[in-house]
This record gives sequence, C-alpha cells and structure tokens, in this order.
Amino acid sequence: MSGEAVDLRAVMGEAGDDAGVEHGGRLIAFTDAVMGSDDERLARERRTLRAVVSAEAFVDTCALIAAFNVVDRVADATGIPLDPMLYAGSGDVREELGLARFRSSANTPAPN
Amino acid sequence: MGLTEGGGTDVLDYGGAETGVRQDLIDAQRALLDHIGSPGTWWTGEERVAIASESRQAARCALCRERKGSLSPGAVAGRHDGPHTLPENVVDTVHRIRTDPARLSKTWFDGVIAGGVDVARYVELVGVSTLTAGLDYFARAFGIAPFPLPAPRPGAPSRHRPAGAKPEGAWVPMIAPEHAVGPEADVYNGGFVPNIMRALSLVPDEVRALRQTSGAHYVPVEQIPDPTVHRALTRPQMELVAARVSAINECFY
Repeated sequence: MSGEAVDLRAVMGEAGDDAGVEHGGRLIAFTDAVMGSDDERLARERRTLRAVVSAEAFVDTCALIAAFNVVDRVADATGIPLDPMLYAGSGDVREELGLARFRSSANTPAPN
Repeated sequence: MGLTEGGGTDVLDYGGAETGVRQDLIDAQRALLDHIGSPGTWWTGEERVAIASESRQAARCALCRERKGSLSPGAVAGRHDGPHTLPENVVDTVHRIRTDPARLSKTWFDGVIAGGVDVARYVELVGVSTLTAGLDYFARAFGIAPFPLPAPRPGAPSRHRPAGAKPEGAWVPMIAPEHAVGPEADVYNGGFVPNIMRALSLVPDEVRALRQTSGAHYVPVEQIPDPTVHRALTRPQMELVAARVSAINECFY
C-alpha cells in the first residue's frame, strides 16, 4: 500500500465516507452495486462514479472488480493458504476486519 | 463481438463506450475467450465452453439463489436451471464455485473428487468457470451485455500432467516455484509467486491464462508487492476496491 491512512471499516461497508481515499465512498458504492442484484442502483452508481473519475479510472474499477471475483473464487475453490509473507504482515488488518470469521480462513492454519 | 471460424474472437463489443478501455485489457479479454473455447488439458473445447456457459447460467439459477439464502447449501435439494450438456455433478460444482464460493470447504471438495471428478479436471474446471465469472463481472460493471462465448475449437485435450505438481498445503496439488522446470519453466515468470498463481498449476495453461488476465485487470503479478505500481486509479483506490470485493465474497485470502 502507499502508506496513506485508509479507514479499514470501509472494506466492511461501515465507514460511510471516503475512508481516507479519494472518491472512496463512490468506489465502494459502485462496487457494492456491481456485486448486488439491483440493476437500477447499479446504473445510478455507475453514472455517479463516471461523473467523478476519469474514463480510464472507471475502466480500472470495472477491471479490478472482475479480477478479484476471479481471485476469490480460485482461492476458495482450491483451498490455498494465505502466503506466509502476507500472513506475517497482515495480522492487525485481519484482526481489525474480523476475517477469521470467514470459512476460508480454515485454509490458513496459524503457524506454530 | 465477432467470431472467426473456429472460435477466434476478432472484436469485442464495449457498447460504443470504448473510451478508456486499455488495449492490453481488450487483448487479454479476447485471449481469454479464445482460451475458453480451445481444447484444454483435460476437457475438450466443447466441454470448456459448456463449463463457461454453466458458470454464466449459475448467476441466474433459482436453485443457487435459494441455496445462497439458506443456512446450509446442502439443505436445499433440486436441479439447477437450464438444459445441461455436462454431468449433473459437474454442473453442481460449477454452480457452487460461481455463486457460493465463501461456503466451499475441504469436505465439499473431497465429495466432488469422491463423486468422480479427477482433481486435474477439477482444477481446469475452476479455471474456466472463474475466468468466465471475471469476464461477466467486467461486463456488468461496465454496463454492457456479457461477451458472447466463443465457438468451441475442435481438438483433443493434451492430458499433460506436470511432474512437479505435489501436495503443497492446498486442497489440490501445486507446482512449487523451484519445481517449475521443463515444459513448466515459463509458468510463473520468476519473481514473486503468490499462492493464487500456484493454485491452478496442476493445469499450467490455466495459470498462464490467470496470469495474463490478472496482469491486465489488476497489475502484473511480479509488480504486486511494489506499492508504487498503480493504474489510472491510485494504489489505495485499487486496494480499497479489491478488498471490498473480497469482503463481500467473504474471502480470507
């Protein structure tokens, strides 16, 4: 990451603002709409996001949502553990976000 | 999208909204569709397109929707929507991966394998169904119709099983970077090799496809650890979107 302070509650949909990231609120709202099933809400959030970010940034947002829907499914369907380097460096974040409640956390046994 | 004879994809239709769509992204999506329609390692081109079609259909499947809303997916019996050309156990596997990935478990996986799906065929199925999901999510986000699936290319699966794939702590055998030699020497491209890139390595062509598509849709794998690498979005914006997707998917990884 860049070292900027990001409000991690935004990741869980709890921040309600930009979370310390430029247009963070709009990005989260758009992502939520893509992941949901309300097409009218999605169209609204798409228009709102496109009004505040460049065309290229909008494409990047769409591409990221696509990429991580692949990554998450590959990870969960193959039972891979979190990489040791990432595990070692993400303890605080995992705890703050409560990620241990996700079923796929069982694929990453805590080190002895 | 135009299709050439044999299933090649010429032009992808971005609904007249091409502004801002990077050429490398267009190339990656075109290559991915070609990959889906080509004979694979364990499945024919026809079977791979059928897997992709099931992945797409699962997003609208009534049984999947009911299961997703239930306390336990196993508690809801029924038949998945649509005419199917694949065996029911394969259809069910694709639908589960597409619509309820957060509740996949080792017990579920063991059941799939015990039900007759060879683990290498499973890994290839994971690749095709998840990469299709990515294309579909891009289209939904961008506001265009899903790209038409390619016509399957004729040909027999290669049936290449990499000698270096071994149990590595995941449900499926994987190739450790130091064992990526011979025909697999190119599979990781050196540098940082996260487990997500190793996950599909029992079927190396699926790793190659995943690496290409991840590089175009996110950042190249070898650049992931570098916090200065970004696109039109800043890196914090990128990581916020990525983390939000994974939180909604309830993915620990």
